[in-house]
Amino acid sequence: MTTTMAGPAPLDETTTIDQLTLDPYPLYRRMRAETPVLRVKSVGRTLLTKAADCKMVKDNPGLFSSDDPNTPMKRAFLAHTLMRKDGQEHMAERMAMMPAFLPKTIVNHWAPMYTRYAEEYVGRLPRGEVVDLFPALAGPIAARILAEIMGVPDASDEEMQRWSQALIDGAGNFGWRPEPFERSDAANAEMDACLERNAERLRAEPDSSALSIMVNSAKPIPWSQMVSNVKIAIGGGINEPRDAALTIIFGLLTNPDQLEEVRRQDAWDKAFEEGVRWCAPIQASSRLVLEDTEIRGCHIPKGDTVMTIQASACHDEDIYDEPHRYIVFREKNPHQAFGSGPHHCAGAHVARRTVGAILMPILFDRFPNMELVDPDIVEWRGFGFRGPINMPVRLA
Amino acid sequence: MVKVTYISTTGEKTTVEGKAGDSVMQTAVDHGIDGIVGECGGSMACATCHVFVDEAFLAATGEKSDSEEAMLEGAASDVRPNSRLSCQIRLSDALDGLVVQVAEEQM
Repeated sequence: MTTTMAGPAPLDETTTIDQLTLDPYPLYRRMRAETPVLRVKSVGRTLLTKAADCKMVKDNPGLFSSDDPNTPMKRAFLAHTLMRKDGQEHMAERMAMMPAFLPKTIVNHWAPMYTRYAEEYVGRLPRGEVVDLFPALAGPIAARILAEIMGVPDASDEEMQRWSQALIDGAGNFGWRPEPFERSDAANAEMDACLERNAERLRAEPDSSALSIMVNSAKPIPWSQMVSNVKIAIGGGINEPRDAALTIIFGLLTNPDQLEEVRRQDAWDKAFEEGVRWCAPIQASSRLVLEDTEIRGCHIPKGDTVMTIQASACHDEDIYDEPHRYIVFREKNPHQAFGSGPHHCAGAHVARRTVGAILMPILFDRFPNMELVDPDIVEWRGFGFRGPINMPVRLA
Repeated sequence: MVKVTYISTTGEKTTVEGKAGDSVMQTAVDHGIDGIVGECGGSMACATCHVFVDEAFLAATGEKSDSEEAMLEGAASDVRPNSRLSCQIRLSDALDGLVVQVAEEQM
């Protein structure tokens, strides 16, 4: 008698992190077709590129844990954060701030302020000139909105963006070099002071910000966890709305007929969804395998780290026709750009209602004839996080 | 099989057959019911599967957890006493014939 046992996933020894950073989509297309479960040596993980597999992993935290101790994240954040926890512990920390990010709070407390900021930041852009929207608009407004919602409004746009980048660089410092950690340590010290100052203010005068909700809770989580919660939001809450905004702007400006139709139907929500599907700001996530298992006939051993590639899930031909194109009016768009499962992006509603519903119509209304200087000079970068790194437009 | 009827925001009724043990959200997604998004897959993390449960079935759907209450409080549509996140209702024989109205806004 013979028993069949699944073999290991195929091993790719040629794909480099540089290739995945510069132009990952053609590589993912090939993986989806030929090797949807693939160990990639340079990444040190098993990449999952089909939508169904990504969702299955994210929806099964009992088998695929977020608690991966072998990352530099803990060192960068000087804390074990909720991103890397499971179960009740994760839920308690997440729910401590979640009310600040839900639609009701956004509509009742934040929307008027966001509209004012969007008008102010868009309003100061110089008409008739060529401007790079990355540093001139997308980065600063993402920083401002986050500072307000988290409860640290006295942090400047520059500080928020610098802290965010320092945390991202530290958490991604898999080479464990000293310099990124020196920068994240310095940012942590500045953020700690800022948080203590604002917590004191919010204890006296509560508002709807995440920090206020946490410090004024009847059953507060420990201060150290409040601090790491805010840091997670800063580390992961600026680049995504920034990159999403720039991607949507690029998609609409390179498809003027669709822009016209979006205007006519006021379909900014759909333009937003298609933007985050087209280039998911968070492209990949890691999960630690807790028990031997099997995916698509490949043996996945306990202790392996699988990487769900949301970027690829959002381009899966099983779900999308012409996935490489920006097509606002798709019949269905069940993308995984915000992930799935218990770690589903806590900022999803905020992003939809700030970038999608508020910023885009204000920008395109103020500059109805805005155009890209040259689509070919827009550069896209990133393996874990991805988006345009420049967006020169002529404002008109 | 367990029969579930979804009433859309325009009043249109769709009755489908779900499996005992599946959630009301998953059953809706599997049958392409409009208006129930369920983006987080049933982890109480997104509040996009808000429904109003027909009074006759309210007791049979069970109690809400504190987390579900908190997520509903912040949901896009106004919360009512019969509001539920449909990912938190498991189909069973006791719920055969269940009727739920889909909330107007989920996102």
